Amino acid sequence: MGDSNSPPGSPKENPDHDSDPNQLAKDDTALETIVRKFQDTMSVGKRHKFWETQPVGQFKDKEDTSLPEGPIEPPTPLSEVKQEPYNLPSPYEWTTCDMDSEETCNEVYVLLKNNYVEDDENMFRFNYSKEFLRWALRPPGFYRSWHIGVRAKASKKLVAFITGVPARIRVRDEIVKMAEINFLCVHKKLRSKRLAPVMIKEVTRRVHLENIWQAAYTAGVVLPTPITTCQYWHRSLNPKKLIDVGFSRLGARMTMSRTVKLYKLPDSPATPGFRKMERRDVPAVTRLLKNYLSQFVVAPDFDEDDVEHWLLPTEDVVDSFLVESPETHEITDFCSFYTLPSSILGNQTYSTLKAAYSYYNVATKTPLLQLMNDSLIVAKQKNFDVFNALDVMENETFLKELKFGPGDGQLHYYLYNYRVRQELKPSELGLVLL
Amino acid sequence: MADWQQLLQSILLGLIFSYLLAKLISIVTSFKEDNLTLTRSHAQDDQVRPKSESGPDSRDDPFRPAGVSADLGGAQDVDSVIAEHGSVGNESEAGSDDYSDDDDDWEGVEITELDEVFSAATAFVATAAADRLAQKVSSDVQLQLYGLYKIATEGPCSAPQPLAVKMTARAKWQAWQKLGAMPPEEAMQKYIDIVTELYPSWLAGLNVKSRGGDSDAPSSGSRGPMGPVFSTFAHEEESANDFKMDAIHNFAREGEVDNLLKCIESGVPVNLKDSEGRTPLHWAVDRGHLNMSELLVSRNADVNAKDNEGQTPLHYAAMCEREAIAEYLVKQDADLNVKDNDGNTPCDLCESNWPWMQRPTE
Repeated sequence: MGDSNSPPGSPKENPDHDSDPNQLAKDDTALETIVRKFQDTMSVGKRHKFWETQPVGQFKDKEDTSLPEGPIEPPTPLSEVKQEPYNLPSPYEWTTCDMDSEETCNEVYVLLKNNYVEDDENMFRFNYSKEFLRWALRPPGFYRSWHIGVRAKASKKLVAFITGVPARIRVRDEIVKMAEINFLCVHKKLRSKRLAPVMIKEVTRRVHLENIWQAAYTAGVVLPTPITTCQYWHRSLNPKKLIDVGFSRLGARMTMSRTVKLYKLPDSPATPGFRKMERRDVPAVTRLLKNYLSQFVVAPDFDEDDVEHWLLPTEDVVDSFLVESPETHEITDFCSFYTLPSSILGNQTYSTLKAAYSYYNVATKTPLLQLMNDSLIVAKQKNFDVFNALDVMENETFLKELKFGPGDGQLHYYLYNYRVRQELKPSELGLVLL
Repeated sequence: MADWQQLLQSILLGLIFSYLLAKLISIVTSFKEDNLTLTRSHAQDDQVRPKSESGPDSRDDPFRPAGVSADLGGAQDVDSVIAEHGSVGNESEAGSDDYSDDDDDWEGVEITELDEVFSAATAFVATAAADRLAQKVSSDVQLQLYGLYKIATEGPCSAPQPLAVKMTARAKWQAWQKLGAMPPEEAMQKYIDIVTELYPSWLAGLNVKSRGGDSDAPSSGSRGPMGPVFSTFAHEEESANDFKMDAIHNFAREGEVDNLLKCIESGVPVNLKDSEGRTPLHWAVDRGHLNMSELLVSRNADVNAKDNEGQTPLHYAAMCEREAIAEYLVKQDADLNVKDNDGNTPCDLCESNWPWMQRPTE
């Protein structure tokens, strides 16, 4: 709190400097530097007032490899966790969103549909379906109290939302109970009211009340400090529509005709024994997945209940396919993707973009490339416009060859109150957050 | 002996008395200070979290000098701007999709453009001051900014006047107090005007998107503080290989009828091929320009011209699902049975069931 922290527009405590004429010339040249500096803070966001107060890996510690891996702060006794919710600005109140209620679920759906994440040019906005939200928010052992809404007191209108769901996430050899934080959304008209920090603190408090002290989350922005930074890749399935709606661009020298031809896929999957996953496959898929995910530094620890919830196909939410050997009937390979449509803003012809997102894929007998190509084929059959994937796990090995193109979006992964010694490569990450 | 005891007693009493006096003075002064230090950051904190709350934020010294806390306010604004920069970029279209919103709900809580520019200005001043640039500014102007800042963030001055011996505090108080009941909006505007006059370039280079606000300057649109990202294809530069096309192909591709006509009239052949063997008609069909296709055909474009892959405009129409154009080409006697280098006829490439694409021969 020294002299360097001067106030906006308030006089210095020591006004003697003010009349120093020699200072003037230097200051003029300094102005440029300062304008630049100011713009840097505005843009790069070197300071993260909120995150600097949180137990997260701090930028300043990044190079310090002597810090131990693991929790940054020890758990506090439950009796010391704040019992009452954080205070909201007075026109607002907390609400717990019961996703079983059709009415509440619809309110959440509408809030997200109109206010959730958009692309850089505001041409698309995620449109998570109600079924998807119920699936994403009610995994085994979920806590209703972690589905947090904010309402305007007067109108009872839902204006903000944040959620956590419990997960067991393995970091190297440690299996840690965590909350996966997601769906933070503040109504457009209330942005800059600084609701986000208090919502993050409130969900943290409610997670602490369940004796859970770590969390995993993603963001498109750089906060202190990512455990890894992933890149989105896109595979056109319906190139003409993607070009028409502006999801991809047609180069001046490229023809639509050739583009359509380039992305054509066979009518049906090539691998013998490729079929939809069924309930009876849960034990085999769990074994396959557990074994596969063990090679990554950070990955979920799935048991059969988790697999049944997260990977058993649900219409328009998650699709899973596997390869059952026609001879031995052994389950050898597995692939899955989830359905996340987006609203297309301001296009007369099309209103919805249907995107499949690569989820968990395991290849033990079938080449991964072929397995993923079959995945593309079934996604195309199901009328998806585009198939998206992050460069996590082994995905990099097939992206280019299967004609995925790089996206303009980066996704940073974070852990709350858990330090990872050094930044991971995306290929060391075995976790997909929705 | 008694003297010695008495002396000790009076020394003790004297010490106690002076301690109490010192304490009293410190309480009085800190009370005054406190009344002057309720600044923006506190005011905002109060909305979000009470000062009584335990947690990292309460480590802040409640009696830190006004300047420091105001600076933090600025820094927090910067942070919140970054954290929630979804806001500004989207607002322009917020109006269009909030069909269900009753505007009265938002009275008094909606942040305005002025708010945004003002908080950017305060953040800028904080940055500038931190770099001692403020030294260039006369203390009168600094006091003026201070007063406006207080009016904008807290309203009219209601704090008691500081003691005359506390010169700085008193000067600040006066600067605030003399502005009386100036409306906060006016104060913000004046503050911005002064900053702009002092540092004309302060907003330069900031991406003043849509609303002239400060906020989402840097990063783009709608990445929230947390959560997934909406990614689209990154725009890749096309490699400049030996690909060549002429102006007439460009005009056909872009549907620029007038320019294309000029080309033809100046003697450019209507069936001129680019390096891939494509005619202007191929390009017009590819991009779905029906009127351009009609124009080209009326100017004797060859409906059955083949590109280097053996494809005719009708192949293109089938491939790109240009229904109206395909129908038109068929009516203009485009060949339904012509095979491209892969052995496919236009019908083979057509995924839709267009009646006019049924081959009469088989």
